[in-house]
Amino acid sequence: MTIAALFFYLYAAVACASAFMVIAARNPVHSVLFLILTFVSAAALFVLLGAEFLAMILVVVYVGAVAVLFLFVVMMLDVDFAELRQGFLQYLPVGALVGVIFLVELVLVLGTWAVAPEAMRAIQAPIPPLDQVSNTQAIGRVLYTTYVHYFQLAGVVLLVAMIGAIVLTLRHKENVKRQDVGRQIARTRAMSVELKKVEPGQGI
Amino acid sequence: MYQAIVFLPLLGCLIAGLFGRFVGARGAEIVTSALLLVSAALSWFAFVDVGFLGHEARVKLFTWIASGGLKVDWALRIDGLTAVMLVVVTTVSALVHVYSIGYMREDPHRPRFFSYLSLFTFAMLMLVSSDNLVQLFFGWEGVGLMSYLLIGFWYQKPEANAAAIKAFVVNRVGDFGFALGIFAVFALVGSVGFETIFAEAKSLTGKTIHILGGDFDALTVICLLLFLGAMGKSAQFLLHTWLPDAMEGPTPVSALIHAATMVTAGVFMVARLSPLFELAPTALAFVTFIGATTAFFAATVGLVQNDIKRIVAYSTCSQLGYMFVAMGVGAYSVGMFHLFTHAFFKALLFLGAGSVITALHHEQDIRRMGGLRPVLPITYAMMVIGTLSLTGFPLTAGFFSKDAIIEAAYAGHNAFAAYAFWLTLIAAGLTAFYSWRLVFVAFHGRSRADHHVLEHAHESPPVMTVPLGVLALGAIVAGFAAKGIFAGEGMEQFFRESIFSKDGHRIIEEMHHGPFWVTWAPTLMMVVGFAVAYWFYIHDPAIPRELARRNDILYRFLLNKWYFDEIYDFLLVRPVKWLGYTLWKRGDGWLIDGFGPDGVAARVLDVTKNVIRLQTGYLYHYAFVMLVGVAALVSWFLVRGGG
Amino acid sequence: MNLTLPALGPALPEIVILVGALALLFLGAWRGEAARPVVDFGAILLLVLAGAIVVLLPGGTLSTFGGSFLLDPFARFLKILALAGAAAALLMSFDFLRAEKLERYEFGILVLTATAGMLVMISSNDLITLYLGVELMSLSLYVMAAIQRDSVRSTEAGLKYFVLGALSSGMLLYGASLVYGFTGTVGFPGIAAAAKAGSLGLVFGLVFLFAGLAFKVSAVPFHMWTPDVYEGAPTPVTAFFAAAPKVAGIAIFVRVAIDAFPNIVPQWQQIVIFLAIASMVLGAFAAIGQRNIKRLMAYSSIGHVGYTLVGLAAGTPAGVAGVLVYMAIYVAMTLGTFACILAMRRNGEAIEEIDELAGLARTQPMVAFLLGALLFSLAGIPPLAGFFAKFYVFLAAIEARLYALAVIGVVASVVGAYYYLRIVKLMYMDEPKAAFEPMARPLGFVLGITGLFVLLFFVYPAPLVAAAQAAAQSLF
Repeated sequence: MTIAALFFYLYAAVACASAFMVIAARNPVHSVLFLILTFVSAAALFVLLGAEFLAMILVVVYVGAVAVLFLFVVMMLDVDFAELRQGFLQYLPVGALVGVIFLVELVLVLGTWAVAPEAMRAIQAPIPPLDQVSNTQAIGRVLYTTYVHYFQLAGVVLLVAMIGAIVLTLRHKENVKRQDVGRQIARTRAMSVELKKVEPGQGI
Repeated sequence: MYQAIVFLPLLGCLIAGLFGRFVGARGAEIVTSALLLVSAALSWFAFVDVGFLGHEARVKLFTWIASGGLKVDWALRIDGLTAVMLVVVTTVSALVHVYSIGYMREDPHRPRFFSYLSLFTFAMLMLVSSDNLVQLFFGWEGVGLMSYLLIGFWYQKPEANAAAIKAFVVNRVGDFGFALGIFAVFALVGSVGFETIFAEAKSLTGKTIHILGGDFDALTVICLLLFLGAMGKSAQFLLHTWLPDAMEGPTPVSALIHAATMVTAGVFMVARLSPLFELAPTALAFVTFIGATTAFFAATVGLVQNDIKRIVAYSTCSQLGYMFVAMGVGAYSVGMFHLFTHAFFKALLFLGAGSVITALHHEQDIRRMGGLRPVLPITYAMMVIGTLSLTGFPLTAGFFSKDAIIEAAYAGHNAFAAYAFWLTLIAAGLTAFYSWRLVFVAFHGRSRADHHVLEHAHESPPVMTVPLGVLALGAIVAGFAAKGIFAGEGMEQFFRESIFSKDGHRIIEEMHHGPFWVTWAPTLMMVVGFAVAYWFYIHDPAIPRELARRNDILYRFLLNKWYFDEIYDFLLVRPVKWLGYTLWKRGDGWLIDGFGPDGVAARVLDVTKNVIRLQTGYLYHYAFVMLVGVAALVSWFLVRGGG
Repeated sequence: MNLTLPALGPALPEIVILVGALALLFLGAWRGEAARPVVDFGAILLLVLAGAIVVLLPGGTLSTFGGSFLLDPFARFLKILALAGAAAALLMSFDFLRAEKLERYEFGILVLTATAGMLVMISSNDLITLYLGVELMSLSLYVMAAIQRDSVRSTEAGLKYFVLGALSSGMLLYGASLVYGFTGTVGFPGIAAAAKAGSLGLVFGLVFLFAGLAFKVSAVPFHMWTPDVYEGAPTPVTAFFAAAPKVAGIAIFVRVAIDAFPNIVPQWQQIVIFLAIASMVLGAFAAIGQRNIKRLMAYSSIGHVGYTLVGLAAGTPAGVAGVLVYMAIYVAMTLGTFACILAMRRNGEAIEEIDELAGLARTQPMVAFLLGALLFSLAGIPPLAGFFAKFYVFLAAIEARLYALAVIGVVASVVGAYYYLRIVKLMYMDEPKAAFEPMARPLGFVLGITGLFVLLFFVYPAPLVAAAQAAAQSLF
């Protein structure tokens, strides 16, 4: 129990610190790397909770796909982030003021934090019991029945994001050579070779 | 069926008004007239069905307003009283529609005209078929509005505009009283529906209202306030000044609105509210007094007028006074009888006058007519029939109804009944005089018209003379045919609950048993009036001029309509105008605009400039504003300690 | 362990729209731009069909997905309104998009997905469904705002909307997580049961939640995106933004306030009153200085959201009924006005300057008359519909003893009347400029219907008011 608690605080601290570094790092590549570290820490927290399926999904999807994609984008775009922060100092005082006020208030509230007993009970009593059903199975059972509409709606949200990306960026440019397998296969000799009878001394 | 009667004219109005350009002037004429004719036919059917077969009805269309304790239905109340009005309104309106096809044939705005006429008819039908005071008021204001629009139909004419405004403003005075009356009824009864009001009326006797520092009998106050509305609408003494001026409108309008229908709305209203008025004898006495005064006053003014339409207009005013006398002495059905017959002969006279006017290219002064009998034989005949009926020639319509009113006034019991009897009797003689004067001066003797005009004068086309014929038929037989149900034994059978009398219509009984001389006195007055007119204008045309010269003051007094317009101008119009002008220049322009709108407007623009500066277009500014907003709210709750 | 699927019936309108959108998407991807007319037509058909299903589903309150999805009279009323608004906006877009060479079949699909998101929001009965609905709608709207991708203004609008929208979503989620933490449930009935006393943490959650929702309805101070996005986005998109999403946003605002927090009314009432006053005042003042009519309509919509929130602030059935009536009338007025704005074209170019409307009464008298009626109604002048809309919410506020709020509202609407009437003055009193091109038929259709509605509402308001009252009653 103590070991588990120790690891929890370790990973939690790493997650918070690396999340802070995501916005604090000067180099955008470093930011993305810290983001990956945050995800991994979060995955570790899931493992500690016994939710190994979620942990793996987090690593595979966010670390393996999303964050790496970010990394590529950041590295391929040549953005001078230092330049973007030029105006930063100008607004720092007033921004900092609001931020500090915010922080103080939230701390004050968290000082009175009383987690609702219902929430505690919901966490403490996983349904169904872990020794009968693995959590992957359990997720699958509710995800496709009780929570089917969440699942489907999330899918539609992603579909819309995809449509949006295509609508806003896809351009069918003229004069670009593209591979068209169908046309390549359908090519016949007559289409590509023309025989010309050349009279001597006249040229084509 | 009742829905059809009421809403067909509205349909016609919409077609002519909204699609006038599409269906054309001819189309608008035909559609509105045809729909009105259908409506009129249905009305006669309803008349028989309701009056004789006893099928009274209440057709609820929908709930109009439901707000707190106020609930107003849009419903049609069809009983004997409504049936009479339906017949009068739709019949005259249909005939006027047809007549207007001829009368307005050269006007470029015919679709608008016919649309107005139909909309007026709809509003009038709404008024007479209303089931509660609010709906009644809706129709009441609706006809007022259409009257305004139709008087000012030729809006290029400044006099027409002035007359329209005058009619509207004078009616405002009456309507103010009417509205107060409705409020008072609602305040005391808690409902505006007729059923409830009439059921509660008994319990109101003896109650008092506290106004202007004194306690007054509630019913009397209510009835007087409501009657104030009737005075305005029906152009009774003191509020009559708009009616003669309203003659600036096209003649069919005068016939329909200012003779047969709208102006009788006040009479109808008193009859409809007879359960209230019956319980307020003081108010009834006042009604009698105003009616009798109007009847006499208007007749005297009519004696000396020269405008053909104004003579008829004063006669209308006077006849409306008769009707109120009948109402005042409790003979409601008799008043309705006169309303019914009057609609026919007065519309006939107006339309006849219109026929003369068109024939003479819009000449209205009878002094420039004369000798028209050979030129306009049909019109002449019609005018004579109308005049006979109006003056009460035996067996014509007016004979039955007017004489009945005079007899009822004799038999009446209230304080002003005797006053009413003598004044109406005298007015009957005056009526005969000025009516025949009109006929003699306009149609007999030498022509005083321009040669040029006279050469082009010709009889009106059949589309105008046929409606005249129908009305003439009505003017002759309506009285004889309908005598039974209005002033005879059939009365209670016909009207049943729609007219209330606390002593069981004893007055109808009593008026038939007046002395012999009372029965024949009106006829005698008629003959005297006729004889004097004949003597003055046929036998010896010099006398009137001589008479006028010798009684110059009296003549001017009458010619200037008892100086009412001048008195009002001096007492009311000018002070109000001065007040308005002062408030406008000093009060509004200097005081309020300077410190109010102009000052405020300048401050508003300052604020606007600052607000717009907030919208910089920078994304991080926007985000920052959002964060500040949240922070402010959070801080607020922190300071308040969670609210 | 038996696995049963929840009943799908109550969600049938959403399912129909989304499945239909997928089918149309396939058609579009397969046939390319040639499929556009079919997609457009199909999209409208789907919206109408969904409306018919909403009407035809069995009455009363239907609930499914473990109680996280509700179809009650309240939801029905607003769904029909949102569907009507979306269908009308889509109908109005075709001619404009064709003239601007923006025809893309994805437009119709995005309208469908956005509308599906709205329907989900309107029906949501827990925080997760609420969030998914909001995101589905917002994501579609971000894309629509930027759909004119060759125009700097449109792209900027899309980007601003997206970034600020993401911020607001963050606030919404943060608030939702706080609420969950303090109540232990995400379902509204559960939250209502748990949130008996307003602890400070719960109130903070409420603030963040409301901030996220206020962004969606563009209530001050979360409105900053509105003028820029309304101006930058293509006009048909603006018309769509101004109508249906507002309905959904207000719907969820009301449902969260009334259903989830009925026991801490004084707390959220303060937030709503603040939002209402700020929106009414800013909407009235800022609109006066505008030259661009789309920007003007943006401030106008901010002001109207303020008036609507007055009804919510009352927190009574009468207040909610006022909100519903207001939304119905607002949608009609806005669509009608945008029909006129869409018709402002000269020599093939869209015109957005207010001054160009000068003398419209002489060049296009009928359009000027109807637009004038709509503007008078927006200003709230009796007897037009807009007056009754304001009347009901102010009355509710007075009955709830919020006198100051009602007075500020009336004053703001007086100031606001100025800029509406200025347009009327331009149309009727100023020297005419060159005539616009004749109005396209769908625009005329929408303008005619909304104009007549606004003009004739007072004759027979009972059906709408009765429906709104029944719908409001179902929340309490």
